[in-house]
Amino acid sequence: MRRRSLLIAAVATVLVAGCSGSAGTDSAAAGEPVSGGSLTWGVETEPITLNPHQYAQAKARLLVWNTFEALLTHDDKGGYVPWLASGYEVSPDGLTYTVKLRTGVTFSDGTPFDAAAVKANVDLLRSDGYAPQVAAVQLKNLKSVDVVDPATVKYTLSSPDVLILDFLSSPQGAVVSPKSLKEAANLKAGGPDLAGTGPFILDRYTPGQELHYKRNPSYRDRAAYLDEVTYRFLKESSVRVGALTSGQVQVIEGVPATDQAQITGNPSLTLSKGLNSGSAYSYYFNVTHAPFDDIRVRQAFRDALDVDTVLNGVYRGTATRAWSVIGPTSPLYDKSLEGTYGNNPERANATLDAAGWTQRDADGFRVKDGKRLTVRLVQSAPFVRDRRDILAQAVQAAVKQSAGIDLHVSVVDQGTATAALEKGEYEVFDNSRADTDAGAALNLLLSSAGAINRLGIADKKVDTLLADGQASSDPAARAEIYQTLQQKVIADDALIQPLYAPADQIAASKKVGGLGFEPTAGVPASAYNLWLSK
Amino acid sequence: MIVLRRIATGLVVLWAAATAAYLALLAAPGSTVDSIIGDGADTPLIRAQIIEEWGLDRPAVVQYLDYLWRAAQGDLGRSYLLQRPVRDVIADQIGPTLTLAVAAAGLGALLALTLAVTTRRPWARRVSSTAELVVVSTPPFLIGIVLLSVFSFNLGWFPVSGGQGVASLVLPAMTLALPVAGVLTQVLRDGIDRALDEPFVVTARARGLGERAVLVRHALRHALLPAVTLTGWLFGTLLGGAVIIETVFGRPGLGQVTLQAVNSADMPVVLAVVVFSAFVYVVINTLADLSYLLIDPRLRPAAAVPAGSVPASSASSSPPTGA
Repeated sequence: MRRRSLLIAAVATVLVAGCSGSAGTDSAAAGEPVSGGSLTWGVETEPITLNPHQYAQAKARLLVWNTFEALLTHDDKGGYVPWLASGYEVSPDGLTYTVKLRTGVTFSDGTPFDAAAVKANVDLLRSDGYAPQVAAVQLKNLKSVDVVDPATVKYTLSSPDVLILDFLSSPQGAVVSPKSLKEAANLKAGGPDLAGTGPFILDRYTPGQELHYKRNPSYRDRAAYLDEVTYRFLKESSVRVGALTSGQVQVIEGVPATDQAQITGNPSLTLSKGLNSGSAYSYYFNVTHAPFDDIRVRQAFRDALDVDTVLNGVYRGTATRAWSVIGPTSPLYDKSLEGTYGNNPERANATLDAAGWTQRDADGFRVKDGKRLTVRLVQSAPFVRDRRDILAQAVQAAVKQSAGIDLHVSVVDQGTATAALEKGEYEVFDNSRADTDAGAALNLLLSSAGAINRLGIADKKVDTLLADGQASSDPAARAEIYQTLQQKVIADDALIQPLYAPADQIAASKKVGGLGFEPTAGVPASAYNLWLSK
Repeated sequence: MIVLRRIATGLVVLWAAATAAYLALLAAPGSTVDSIIGDGADTPLIRAQIIEEWGLDRPAVVQYLDYLWRAAQGDLGRSYLLQRPVRDVIADQIGPTLTLAVAAAGLGALLALTLAVTTRRPWARRVSSTAELVVVSTPPFLIGIVLLSVFSFNLGWFPVSGGQGVASLVLPAMTLALPVAGVLTQVLRDGIDRALDEPFVVTARARGLGERAVLVRHALRHALLPAVTLTGWLFGTLLGGAVIIETVFGRPGLGQVTLQAVNSADMPVVLAVVVFSAFVYVVINTLADLSYLLIDPRLRPAAAVPAGSVPASSASSSPPTGA
């Protein structure tokens, strides 16, 4: 067996404790950490479920990690470090992952944490009808999970898959007390019934209103600073900002560009931003039919667009431009793509002329064989965030003006959107994914068997690169593989128009210390490190 | 007999509402499987598991009949989205919505009565009418934000969000009550105006009654009938308004649940909310009909008229005497 990274618990403790502090913000005003007090945090999104195995909303991560912990977590360079594990070994063939567990850890309902508990979680995840998405995607290559001894679990894969580590560090991989898995009244919805090992205990949930956590007094390491923390659901951004400025809440997340001046202009408040991991928010071109089956039209679309101007117009300088399908904070990101395409209307027009789109109609749109150069973007209303509908309008105006491309935008209900996507009645598909390992996102988006491969590409080279990236456990080799992949889909094939890197914002009173973002994921961290100065 | 007929009609209305909602959801684009998958990964395996779990491969008619049969037994099914029994979802949220609706209705009625009676002078009437027009034509969302900015964010009198007792009910109830009061005041005022032109008012004045007594004891009673007829409308406004109010104020309630369920085609929840709304509608309209009898003795069956009241036959245009 090759020893890959058997770290000792002491190191892990330090790393996990620093987990949310390392990407931290200016907490100088809050002074040294103090214990005690209760904090109220205004959040934008109410989680659909509080069961970590069912987790599907990036906005729920900050809640999940209050009560639950996974076997591994990330450091700020995208690597894996033990959390509930004390270390892990990978066999040379990449098929066996042996994870050593911490000992002496108990769930908040008193159940001991051990190998049997870990196995019970994985078994449930793989059972019919519990979490089909996790079973079919993240645990696709898992053959079996076995208890070696009370402190050792062995995962056996059917083919090498480093993304199993991403699972072990994801909310879906969080370990829930096996007792509560059996006894919870509404297991899939989660809630106070589900016990975890985390630094807080969820003791009250009022749907539509708030979640209340109290400190876990028997947490194995340093106990959380706060006695209690309440997350209040305030969906309207101006209301969140008003609640913060009037002192009714001490922290809020989700501060839109239009409200940021109110925060930065107030000397008693702080504003900080974390770039999310995973894939950048991008437009994917549907290459299964005209006009995007012609690479020249795809290139022209990107050349017609000045992304910086559009982003500035919509987000007032608060958005971070994306140059690749992988977000700029990912260790897999290919920086060499920056500045290599876009904002070149002359070239866009010349390319379209060469592709036969030479005529213009009365409205100024390009026409070929009597057909207008129309590309349709269908957005599902429940998933439109960050004013992506407005952004689409800005892009629409830009490509019309500079190259006569008709981007047709419709924002519809989810059923209509899915129906359109299934029937192929779209030319542009927009998406961003918050997976911590960008490889997981690309598997879904770019693989010929990908669950949301809405470009309709089936490219052997892309498939091979994705498979190699998933099988390789050498970080440097992986980075190289994914760089080749990005060169192919962005530079060579012009399949994607990257737009911006999704970000989370936190605004808070200067009395709050320890605020920060999860390393790698880039989303707000749990309340473990937060304190309230007197 | 009347009661039985009422109940039968009510049941037919409930069944019709449930069926109409079912058909509407069936006709909506996209399948239930799509809704359950949402933004997540979509593979044939996942689809098959979802279809299996929810029994979606059965014919629509069978699913519909199954739904009706279970609903009749009080089993509303499980929410696709929230993965909890619909009964729990509704039970959790009904309290806050009812509290808000009752508070808003009460506040609105009180405001309307006070304004209609006190703003009889031309200048007061002009001021009041203008204000009524403004609140009726302002989106509730805006009213809510303005009230919040002034009374919560700046003055700090009331908290923004739901569960903090009566104090947190004031602003949302006021937001909902203002447009309601605006409409009701205008209806009441018109009714009073018409009543004051009736001959019985002259008679009452001739009997030496003061102007205030004429207004409150005679004219107002006449004006109440059209206002009560508006109760059905009022309920619709309150339920519709609750969606916005609950979002703005971070309150729990049915409005939020409904919005989320409709957006994601969460069939069991949508159906339950529709049936529930229809139920309340039936109850409220029945109560409104009954209250006519209380307000206007002329509408009561002869035997039910209390002794001392003017018999219906001889009271064509004369007033109720005011108990």
